[in-house]
Amino acid sequence: MHCPVTEPAEFDREEFDRMAAEWRYIITDMICRAGSGHLGGALSLVEVIITLYYRILRVDPAHPRWDGRDRLVLSKGHAAPVLYLALACRGFFPASWLKTLNADGTRLPSHADARYVPGIDMTTGSLGQGLSCACGAAYAARLDRKSHRVFCIIGDGESNEGQVWEAALFAGHHKLDNLLVITDYNKLQIDAFTDDLLSLEPLRDKWRSFGWEVLEMDGHDWDSVYDTLQAALATQGKPKMIIAHTIKAKGCCLVENKPESHNIKVPDQATYDKFLNSLPLKAALPY
Amino acid sequence: MSSDFHRLEMRFVYGETLSELIADNPQVMCLEADLSKASGTNPIVASRHPGNFLNVGVAEANMISVAAGLASEGKVPFCASFTCFATRRVYDQITISVAYANLNVKVVGTAPGITAGPNGGTHMCFQDLAIMRAMPNMHVYAPCDALELRSVMRYMAAHHQPTYMQLIRQQVSPIFAAEYAFDPHRAAVLREGRDVTLVSTGYMTQFAVPVADELHRAGIAVELLHYPAVKPFDTATLVESARKTRRVVTVENQNVIGGLGGAVCEVLSEQCPTRVVRLGVPNEFGEVASEQYLLSKHGFGPAHIAAACRRLAAASEVG
Repeated sequence: MHCPVTEPAEFDREEFDRMAAEWRYIITDMICRAGSGHLGGALSLVEVIITLYYRILRVDPAHPRWDGRDRLVLSKGHAAPVLYLALACRGFFPASWLKTLNADGTRLPSHADARYVPGIDMTTGSLGQGLSCACGAAYAARLDRKSHRVFCIIGDGESNEGQVWEAALFAGHHKLDNLLVITDYNKLQIDAFTDDLLSLEPLRDKWRSFGWEVLEMDGHDWDSVYDTLQAALATQGKPKMIIAHTIKAKGCCLVENKPESHNIKVPDQATYDKFLNSLPLKAALPY
Repeated sequence: MSSDFHRLEMRFVYGETLSELIADNPQVMCLEADLSKASGTNPIVASRHPGNFLNVGVAEANMISVAAGLASEGKVPFCASFTCFATRRVYDQITISVAYANLNVKVVGTAPGITAGPNGGTHMCFQDLAIMRAMPNMHVYAPCDALELRSVMRYMAAHHQPTYMQLIRQQVSPIFAAEYAFDPHRAAVLREGRDVTLVSTGYMTQFAVPVADELHRAGIAVELLHYPAVKPFDTATLVESARKTRRVVTVENQNVIGGLGGAVCEVLSEQCPTRVVRLGVPNEFGEVASEQYLLSKHGFGPAHIAAACRRLAAASEVG
């Protein structure tokens, strides 16, 4: 893959399938190169992020702070590598930056950082806070009668945090219908499966009872992701929650759907090779 | 008109001033977490500027991060709650959503230190100056009277800067006149003297002024420095005074660890080693009690300040 500065394109299933496979290879390489990193939660979001950045979000890579842009808050900030790749591919910054993930002096730190990265709208990393920040951004947009939309992605483990539910109350009370939140429900957190550690179920009922419009989708199926996002955006009068059923570390068979995928350690070349070889497609690196 | 503010409870000065700031700049917002009457913004701000008033309920963590989101869109949110909830309860939200992200959020801690009296030990925060001072990007202010509060708030609204401010709720004695203009980089030299330096901030300055005057009358020339900003910290004024007096007493409505006294010791130990006596709460929790009781128990009331100054002034071997 030469990571061209890609324009949002008409959906072509083969093209998108290939892009997703290439992204999984590149993300894994970025993290392995860094020696460690949050692989699982980045790979579970690949189809969601591609769909957002190629089919849904109104953004202008030449003007990252364009006031009319849609905002995206990656509240599960540790999934930043997939967001960095999307921003590089859309031309927000040179693809050469990608190989510097977590390196000394990098502009691409492990957690999403609005201070250094063009295209990042909110600095995140301490779980539970990004959704509140997104609520503030959505509230400001409503006050100023602006038509852009605020998207936010939270984790299922992150949803253990009490602050998530403070924000859920807030957005429901204020009927923030310019706010669309996606839960990356890959069913795994750091130490265990969510159902074994601290169950979120019934998750759909919880959000609905907080006054949200709740939809569910297969987070790896292009049609499901796109159609559900469009359906959510079409509803009015409530904040929208899409529960994305995903697989943690999807595509990296070495750790797919395993707790150890959360933060992989890559101490040597052999481990590096093992991770890269466990992916179904080998992509040309854009850096 | 300006002197009229001296007759108001400080929380109403906060409400009136915030209301003026919103009238001047509609981007300014008032955020509350179900303590808006205690902060003095309800009904003053809530009724005059309902669109700029946002009460998030008893959810301080959400308040701070919502404020960060508002600030990222150009709003200037002032977020108030009791000092204990505005700082220690939401320390990580302020650290990451506000200071680390470097967003223009103003955090206001009301009823600082022993002024939380009737609510007791659970609500007494003796460490806000210390913990907020230890946070990169954060400015930390503790105005001492109504006119300084107004000047500090105007400064806050005009400068893009994560900021924490202590807000005394009750009426306090006037210190400053209308022409006073707050500058976070400059301490106010309230009294000049050669015998001992007394350093004060926030709530304690109203007690320090009469103590300095009383000692002057008794022949002990106290140089009284009031620090409205504990961070940034005006090192030059302190060092110059300490070089002159060689004796320093600090007093604060706080734990003596890490706040004003800590800042003074850090500066002097590096730039002008000087004998320092720190007055405040000696590393203990609060309790439900009157201010008089707590000042006496912990030894930082007017009589204790005077005694400490006298002792140091009389000491022959210092520094």
